[in-house]
Amino acid sequence: MKAPPINPGATAGARTHRAKADLLKPLGLPGEMPADWQARALHKFGELLGRRRSLALSLDICARCGACADKCHYFLGTGDPNNMPVARAELMRKVYRRYFTTAGKLAGRLAAAEDLTEDVLNQWYTYFYQCSQCRRCAVFCPFGIDTAEITMAAREIMASIGVAPKYVTEVVKKAHDIGNNLGIPEAAWLDSCQFLEEELKEETGADIKIPVNQKGADVLLVPPSADLFANTDTMMGYAKLFHAAGISWTTSTYASEAGNFGLFLNYDQLKKVNLRLVDAARELQVKRLVIGECGHAWRAAQAFMDTLNGPLDFLESPRPEHICELAARLIREGRIKLDKTKNDGLSVTYHDPCNLARAGGLTEEPREILRAVLNDFREMPADTIREKTFCCGAGGGLLTEELMDVRMKGAKPRVEAYRTTGANCLATPCAICKAQFPAVFQHYGLDGQIVGVMDLLGKAIII
Amino acid sequence: MALLLPALLYAAAAIFLIGMGWRIWRWLRTPSPLVIVLTPGPKTSSGVARRLVEEMFGFRSLFKADHLFWVFAWLFHLSLLLLLGGHLGGLVFPKFSQTALGLTEIQFEWLAQVAGSAVGVLAMATLLALLVRRCAAERPRRISTISDFFALALLLLIIASGNQMRFMGGLDLMQSRRFVSGWLAFSPAAPPSDPVFTVHVLLICALLVYIPFSKLVHIGGATLLSPTLNQRNNPRDRRHVNPWDALPAHSPRQSP
Repeated sequence: MKAPPINPGATAGARTHRAKADLLKPLGLPGEMPADWQARALHKFGELLGRRRSLALSLDICARCGACADKCHYFLGTGDPNNMPVARAELMRKVYRRYFTTAGKLAGRLAAAEDLTEDVLNQWYTYFYQCSQCRRCAVFCPFGIDTAEITMAAREIMASIGVAPKYVTEVVKKAHDIGNNLGIPEAAWLDSCQFLEEELKEETGADIKIPVNQKGADVLLVPPSADLFANTDTMMGYAKLFHAAGISWTTSTYASEAGNFGLFLNYDQLKKVNLRLVDAARELQVKRLVIGECGHAWRAAQAFMDTLNGPLDFLESPRPEHICELAARLIREGRIKLDKTKNDGLSVTYHDPCNLARAGGLTEEPREILRAVLNDFREMPADTIREKTFCCGAGGGLLTEELMDVRMKGAKPRVEAYRTTGANCLATPCAICKAQFPAVFQHYGLDGQIVGVMDLLGKAIII
Repeated sequence: MALLLPALLYAAAAIFLIGMGWRIWRWLRTPSPLVIVLTPGPKTSSGVARRLVEEMFGFRSLFKADHLFWVFAWLFHLSLLLLLGGHLGGLVFPKFSQTALGLTEIQFEWLAQVAGSAVGVLAMATLLALLVRRCAAERPRRISTISDFFALALLLLIIASGNQMRFMGGLDLMQSRRFVSGWLAFSPAAPPSDPVFTVHVLLICALLVYIPFSKLVHIGGATLLSPTLNQRNNPRDRRHVNPWDALPAHSPRQSP
C-alpha cells in the first residue's frame, strides 16, 4: 500500500477511557496518579532499562533511517506522523535522552531531549495505545528494533503510575476473577458446551463431546473464550477434530481463556494471567496443552509460558501445541478423513495473525490445513502475508469501541490486500481478528465471511 | 603544535574506547528476560550466526524495506569500511600490505591512489545521496533531528577533507605515514604541513568523541546484540530463564 501524505495530529484525539481505582487497585496499581508521578515513572523507566536489553538497546541505537516509517498499518491508515514506528519510539526516546543520557542532560532540546511533562505523558497514552504490538516494523529494521518492546515498556511505566486503559484492565481483572476475558461464569460455560454438543449431534448425528474439567484427559485445550460464544463454529471444529482423531481432551473453567491481556499491560499481569493455564494443567493432570485460535495467546504460550511459570516438566509433553499444529499433524498422519467438497463455493484467503507469524513461527500449518480442507485457496500479495502480514487493526489491547476510528483506518492495508484476491471468505485463527473483521468488512463495504481455520476443517471432516 | 595534534588524538581515542566499552558493557549486562526472536527465526546457533552475518554485512532487513535506500546505505557503509581498511593498509602498514599483495612499490602506490580515489568518491556520493534523502523525502525529513544532520555533516567534512588532500592537495604521504605510525607507536611525529591534514585529523577527533554519545554508537554491535535477531527460536525446546524473575512469584495452586 502506498504511504499517505503526513497528516500531523490526525489521530491525536483517539484515546481510550482511563481505568479508575476499582480496576487499577485489584491489579496492584495505584488507584490514581500520585503527586510524585514523574519521579515514580522515571524510577520505573530506569528499572526497565536495567531489565530489558531490547529496550536499552533500541533507545540507544536507532539511526532514524526511516526504513520502518511506512511499514505500520496505523500510519498507512491515518497518516499521523506519530504512528510512524520511529516517531512512536521517539516519544519515549526523547524522555530517555533527557534523563538517562549525557548528551540529553547537557544539551537538552538541542539533543532532542524533552522533560516528562503531562503533555508528553498524554502523547504516550495516546500513541502507545495506537500500537498493536504487531512487530511488523521490526521485520524491516536493520537493527531489529521492535517497537512492541518499546510500547510494552511505555505501558508498563504508565501502569506503574496508575495510567492504564479501562478496557485492558477490565479484561485482565475478569481473567483473574472469572477465568476468562469475556467474564463467562462457570455455569454459563457448562450450558454453552452442552448447547454446542446438541448442535453437533443435530449436525452430525454423532455424540461429540465438549468435555469440561475432566481430570486425566490427554489434552487440555485452552481456547479464547470468544470461541464459546461468538465463534462457536471454531469451538465445534475443535470438538470434531478431537472426536475424529480419538484424542481425549478437556476444557477448563479455571483457565477458560487462552488470551492474555497482561501482555498489553505489564510483566506482572502477563505472568499472573498465564499462571492459570499452568495451574489448570497441573490440577487436571493432563498430558499436554493445546492452545486454540488466538494470536497473542500463542505468543504467551509458546514463547513465554515456560519462562514465566515453568518448568512445564510435570506434563508428559512440556511443549504447548497450537491447534493448527495438531490438526496439520493429524492430517499428515492420515488420522482424520476429509471431504474437501464440503467447502465448495467458498473462495478462501488466509490472514496471518501478527503474533502467529512474527512471534510464534506459525505460518505454514494453517495453510496446510486450508489446502487440505477446501478447493479454492488463494493468497493475498506477498508483501502482506507471513512475516510481512498486516495487523487486523485491533491487536495489542485496542479492540475497544473508543478506538473504532483508528481501528478501521488501521485495517486499510489489510482490506486493500484482501480486495486483490477476489475471495469471498477470510480465514484467520485469532479471536481478536475475528472480532475486528466484521466491523471492518461493514466499514469498507466488503462481502465475505470471516471464519476460523477450525471452522473450515470442521465442515470438511468426516465423522 | 607538533605534539598538540597527537595529544588531542590520544584523548579522543581514549574517550572513544572507554565510551564504547562502557556502552557495550551496559548492553551486555542487561538481560533479555523473554524469548522475543522475530519468527520465522533460526532454531540453531549456526542459523543465528548466518542471520546475523546477513544482517550485518548484507543489511538484509533494510533490503526488504526499501531497495533504493538499501543501495545507498549499503554502499556508504561499505565505502567507510574500505576507507578504514585503506588507511590501515596504506598509512599504517604500507610495507606489509605491499608484500602481502605481492606488488612492487610503484604498483602498490598506484593501487592505493586509484582505489583510494574511487572509494573516496563513492563515500562522498553515497553520503550526499543519504543527505538528500533525509532533506527531501517527506518521512525521513519529518523524523530527523539535529543530531542526524550533525552526524552526516561531520562525516561529510571528514570525507571531503580527505578527498581534497587526495585530489587537490600537495599532501606529503611519507610524512603522513610517519605521523600515523608514530602516533600508534606512542612516539608522535610531526604532522604534514598541509593544514587540511590538521583539519582532517581534528574532525576525526570530533567523530571519535561523538560516536559513543550518539546514534553512531550502533557500530558497537547494534545488530549483533539485538535479541529479536540473535536469539534462537527454541523457547519450547530449551528452558529460557529470566534472571530477574528466576523464582516463581506465586506458589502454584495446590490440587484439592
